[in-house]
Parts: sequence; C-alpha cells; structure tokens
Amino acid sequence: MIEKARFAYVSILVSFCLAGLAFAQTDPGVQSGNRGTGATLINPSNDPHGFYAFFQDGQARFQAVESVSGSPTNNNGLGPRFNANQCSSCHAQPAVGGSGPAVNPQFQFPNDGVAPGNTMPSFITANGPTREARFPFFFLSNGKPNMNSPNGGVETIFVVTGRPDAGSCSLQQPSFAQAIAVNNIIYRIPTPTFGAGLIENLDESTLLENQAKNLNNNFGVAGSFNHNGNDGTISRFGWKAQNKSLHVFSGEAYNVEMGISNELFPQDRPLPGEDGMGGSGLVGLPANCLNLSGTGYPEDTSNPNASNASVLDDVSAFSNFMRFLAPPPTGGATLNGQQVSQQAISAGNSLFNSIGCATCHNASPGNTQVSNFNPALSGAPVPAYSDIEIHHMGSGLADNVSQGGAGGDQFRTAPLWGLGQRIFLLHDGRTTNLITAIKAHASSGSEASTVEQTFTNLSATQQQEILDFLRSL
Amino acid sequence: MLSPLARHLLIPLLCVSFAVGQSAQPQSAQLADDGKVPSGVIIVKGAWSSASDSTTPVPEGGSVTNGVYRNDYFGMTYSLPHNWTEEYKGPPPSDHGRYVLAQIAPPETFTGSARGSILMTAEDMFFTPVPAKSAAEFVNYSKDHLQPDYKVEQLPQPITLAGRNFTFLKYWSPVAELHWFVLATEIRCHTVEIVLSSRDSDLLQSLMRSLQAMKLPDETGSTAERFPVCIKHYATEANLINRVEPVFNEARFNPVPVRIIIDKSGSVRHIHFLSAFPDQAQAITAALKQWKFRPHVENGKVVEVETGIMFGRGGN
Repeated sequence: MIEKARFAYVSILVSFCLAGLAFAQTDPGVQSGNRGTGATLINPSNDPHGFYAFFQDGQARFQAVESVSGSPTNNNGLGPRFNANQCSSCHAQPAVGGSGPAVNPQFQFPNDGVAPGNTMPSFITANGPTREARFPFFFLSNGKPNMNSPNGGVETIFVVTGRPDAGSCSLQQPSFAQAIAVNNIIYRIPTPTFGAGLIENLDESTLLENQAKNLNNNFGVAGSFNHNGNDGTISRFGWKAQNKSLHVFSGEAYNVEMGISNELFPQDRPLPGEDGMGGSGLVGLPANCLNLSGTGYPEDTSNPNASNASVLDDVSAFSNFMRFLAPPPTGGATLNGQQVSQQAISAGNSLFNSIGCATCHNASPGNTQVSNFNPALSGAPVPAYSDIEIHHMGSGLADNVSQGGAGGDQFRTAPLWGLGQRIFLLHDGRTTNLITAIKAHASSGSEASTVEQTFTNLSATQQQEILDFLRSL
Repeated sequence: MLSPLARHLLIPLLCVSFAVGQSAQPQSAQLADDGKVPSGVIIVKGAWSSASDSTTPVPEGGSVTNGVYRNDYFGMTYSLPHNWTEEYKGPPPSDHGRYVLAQIAPPETFTGSARGSILMTAEDMFFTPVPAKSAAEFVNYSKDHLQPDYKVEQLPQPITLAGRNFTFLKYWSPVAELHWFVLATEIRCHTVEIVLSSRDSDLLQSLMRSLQAMKLPDETGSTAERFPVCIKHYATEANLINRVEPVFNEARFNPVPVRIIIDKSGSVRHIHFLSAFPDQAQAITAALKQWKFRPHVENGKVVEVETGIMFGRGGN
C-alpha cells in the first residue's frame, strides 16, 4: 500500500514537473479478457474449396504432443534434439497459434518426463519467455568464441537422452553456461501467427508500393526487404523475415524446434558445430540417435492411404492452421483497473502515426492478392502494423545473427497486431514492459532513434495515450 | 621501364588497388579484453557501406566533436545548441541512397518547456526512387505526400540559410502539437535536409537562428570548385572507353548503389559503396579498377567527375 501511494505521488509530481520524460507513464500491461483471438477467418458457409476442415485438422495437430517412438506412431519423430514437444508449447498466448505463455512449459521438461535428466539453462525460467538460443560465433578449441567464424544457428536446448522411448541415443546438451560466460549467446522468442495467411498473401508489388510511399519520411527511416535465396522474391516470416512462406516456416520449425524431419527438411538436424566443418571432429549425429522412430525418413510424410484432411503431412496441416487464423481482434485497454476511454485510444492512434511509428509499423501495408484458398484471404487489408521490411535496429538490439540478406542488426518490423495480449516483447523477450521496448528502439545505428526521440518530445499524457493505444491492439 | 604514359595510368590504379579492403566499416571484430564477445556492437553485418580508401570523405563520415557537427563530404560545419548532443549515430546508408547524417537532441536534463530534435539527412539524387530532380522538388513531393495526420503550416518556399539557397516547408500534427521545419538544399547531387521538430515554437526559432551560423559550401566560386562535378548517368557508352562487368560468385538480390570519382585522366580514383556485401564490393571494385572514361571538360578545363552506378538487382 505504501509502495502504491509513493508511486502515485511520484507519478503526479513527475507529470507536473517533468512532462516529457518517459518514466511518468505506465504500460497498461497484458490485457485480460477473451477478444476472440485464435478463431479462423474462414466463414464455413463461404468455403468453396473446403479448407475449413483443414484448419480444424491443423489446429488439432498443432497441439499434438510428439514423442520419439512408440505407439501411437503418428506423433513420433521428436528429437534427438528439441526445444519443445508441441507447437503450442510456445505458440500459446493468448490462444493456440500465439506467442509464449505466462507459465513456461520448457521449464518443466526435466521434471515432467519430456526431457528427463536434462540441465535447465539459466535463460529458461518458470515464468519467463519460451526461448530458443543461438551462438553468434563458433567456439575455438580453447573455449573462446572465434570472432571470424559466424555461427547463428539454433542450439537446440534439450536432448532425448534418458527418455524411455529414445533407445540408446546419448547426446550432450550444448554448453550454454560456457556460452553465457563469454557472452556468445542470443535468444529468440516465438512469433505469433494470427493473421499470418494475410501476410503470406501480400503481393510483391503491394509491399514495394508501400515501401515507396514511405520513402520520403522525415524520421530517417529507410528499410529494405529480405529475399528468398531460391527465387529472389520477398521473404516475410520470422524475426528477420527469413522465411518465404508458412510452409517453409512450419517445416523449418518442425525440424529445428522439435527435431522432426519432414518433406521440406528431410534429415534429422545436427547442431551447427556437429556438421563436420571447422575441424570439430563431429560429423553429424551418432548412429544410435538416428531413425529413433524406426520408421525411416522423413519422419513426417503425407498419408496417401488416409482420407480427407488426414492425407496431409503435419507441416502442411500446420501451415493451413496458421494460414486461416484470423487477425487478432482489437479491444479496449484497461489501466490500473480503469477502462481507458476510446477517445484516448483514438488519440494514441493518431499520435502513433504522427511521431513516425507508422512509418514502419504500418496499419496495413496494403490489400492481399486474390486467394485460391478462401475468399477471406482475397483483397483483404492486413492490419498487421508492419511493412514486412527489415530495418537496422542498432547496436542495442543487434543479435549478430545473419539470416538471408538480413545482417546482425536488421529485423523485420514486428507486427503489432495482438500486442495488447502479448506478454514478452522484442525478439529475445528481454522485457515485458512496453516503455522499455519503445526505448530499446533507440541506439547507435538504429533507423528508429529519431522516432523514439520524437516520442520523448511528446507530453506525458500523449505518451500514455500511445501506450494505451498499443495495448488496445 | 614504364613509359611516362604507362606510369601515369598505373599510379592511380595502384592507389585504388592499395586502398581496396580499407572498408569504412570493418567486417572483423575482436573479443573484448575480458575474453567475451563485446556487447552492444554490430559485428555481423549484412549489406553495409564501405569505401576504397579511408581518406576521401564520404557522406556518412560526419561526426560531432566538441559540440560541432562537421561533415567534410558536404563541406558542412554546424555548432550545436549549448549542451545538445548526438547520443546515437544513424544507421548505415540505405540501398536506395538515404543517409542519416546526424540526430541531435538536448540532454535528459533539458529544462525547457518542451524538448526538440534536429535530424540531418541526405538523399542521393542519383539513386532516389522519389521522382524529384532537385531539393525543391523533393520537398514538394514530401508536402504532396504528407499523411492525413499532418497539416501544412507553410508551403515550400525559398529562403537563404547560412548564405545558401534552401527550400523551407513547415507542417504540424494537431494531435501531437508537434511542428516540423524542413529545410532542404542540394549539395553534390544530394538533397541535404535538416528537419527540426518540437512542440515549442520559440525553441524552433532559436534552432533556426543557430542554423544561420552553419558553414556550408558556396554554390558558386572557389569552394564549389573543390568538389568534383557531379553528373547523373555519366557511366554511359558515350563517356566510357573501357568497361568490364563485375563477376559475382554468389547470387544476391540486393541493389548495390555505388558512387565513384573519376580523376582527370579518366580512371576511377575513389569508390564508395552505399550498401554492399563484402563479396559484392570486392567484385565490383575489381571491375571498376579497369574502367576508363574519356576525360571530362567543363569551361575548357578537364575536371573530376562524381557519378553513380547501380549494380546488383536492378543495376545498369
């Protein structure tokens, strides 16, 4: 109580005396209540090709618990290394398909039989973000990072060793403690997938036109696009827009995050240092850790003898689920138990545009192209609050991981739809506080420093209105 | 024994060759003294700016020292308002020619009625996708494409600032109560823009006064002559005696805007990559070293020429 009273006193004092400084404001925090997030955009009565059934099937498979081997066989193939055993372990908040939940299931894996005997790295905590880890640089034999040898691949956290369904496979977890000791580690949290089908269905020309429209901004912003290395078209999923499509996004995640080989990524994946390169002496996974499911490769395939949606492979099913998830609905915002007025939220929206946030976080980069899946994906606005471009975000956010054409300081403009119900913010989940996240946009080399500076040029009330608006998304 | 002509041709080539690899933005880094990967440092870079030598000024090379912003490429010197600083350097040049030259703001301890900021940018008119041929047209384009949240306070009009012709636009955001002053001039085929922003009109006026004391190159006379003549689309068959295409060993999809300075003998003496991966810069440098132009004559004198070439995707 005393703390609250002191906070209120300080807030009032600051508001009167130091209007303009960021600490006078309060992040309304994660908005509770059911906004209907996680529903499909398919209207079953206007579903000419029958994709609604695929959405439902994908939604179930997205939550399926994968095992290494045994019965039933249709969910086998986990590991030998993995970060989670369900897509929905990480994509859960505020509904299946979203971002990391408040209670981190990874933290329980050593105790709940998913990863028995595994050591919990310090960056995974009970109520912290679900994460993957990467080492920006390979290690020398003396344990020091080799600054001339960029790595950046995912260092999968858990091993199946010790599970009763994993046979004699014996693997060590990566040396996370060593990586932390020499600061050679970065983290990524899951990106929410609501509305992803709309982003996938944006035409190249629409994105390019949107880029051109924003070129002459007076905030120093000038982004570019990441491109798919195979056909050169704009890629758009993942923190650095490194994935071209939801299929690639699903296939890579199934292989990298869960260790399940599939039709897009047909082999079990060794760690970056186990690939026989660089004189490590490690040449892939040991034989007793291969084909653990006993079914051969890929572990996930399509099923020609099945019927209806079951004929699809898991990766296709996941893609359909994400493709047909509706954008997260907006809602109001509650601050300190009080409903924020719609007038304040509307003002916050205008302020958000005025100070340049919308230069990158576009309310919609345009309308989608005609869809062969479902009419709901055709000619639709994409209220993602993202331009899908990659931008230099400066030394403060740089993770020194290069993906495709994106360098170590470049990130895709994170879509802000659904932000009101997101818990962990920024690519590594370093904060749960919107104000901290906004301030992190400014650092040397960032395109967003002037916008962040302009945010601080606003009055305390105006800054609060922007925070309220953001939590209404 | 080389003939005098051969020596004349070889020396510039050797100079370029010697300087190649002296990137303005080193791609390698070292562990910190404590044996850790340094924090807050961009080590693994994507497409970035670099230059064939470290002595020829480049647009992104300006900096603030002792309260003074100095940019040798543009011949620009500006004394910042008392205690104002550049806390953060700008991003590298974009792949369509946009520079953030400086971002200047008051300290956290600022006690005025409202804060403000100064943003200095440059747009390379060789590469800009904006359909504008001059600074005035650039500002007019901005005015015509302002988002609905802004209202024009003053249409673009010519003014003289620090002895130089500028185009001056004022607009504001009623909801934010923020005003923007946009001042643009053209230097070396760039639109150099100075953008002032604040809710405090008095502060904006005082910033305008501070800009009057700025040092800029004259538009005519001796200081103008110290720069090469800038000419768009100069690298054409009409001016080129020898052109060798770069050989790339990896397919990439990024545009690679390059500015070059051609010396009086027609050789490329300076190469500036606004945005390129190291392998792209290496391949293009190897090719440009072999290019030969006809000497350019203006007013009866052979002069150096600065021009731009777009390589990579959409290149010419």
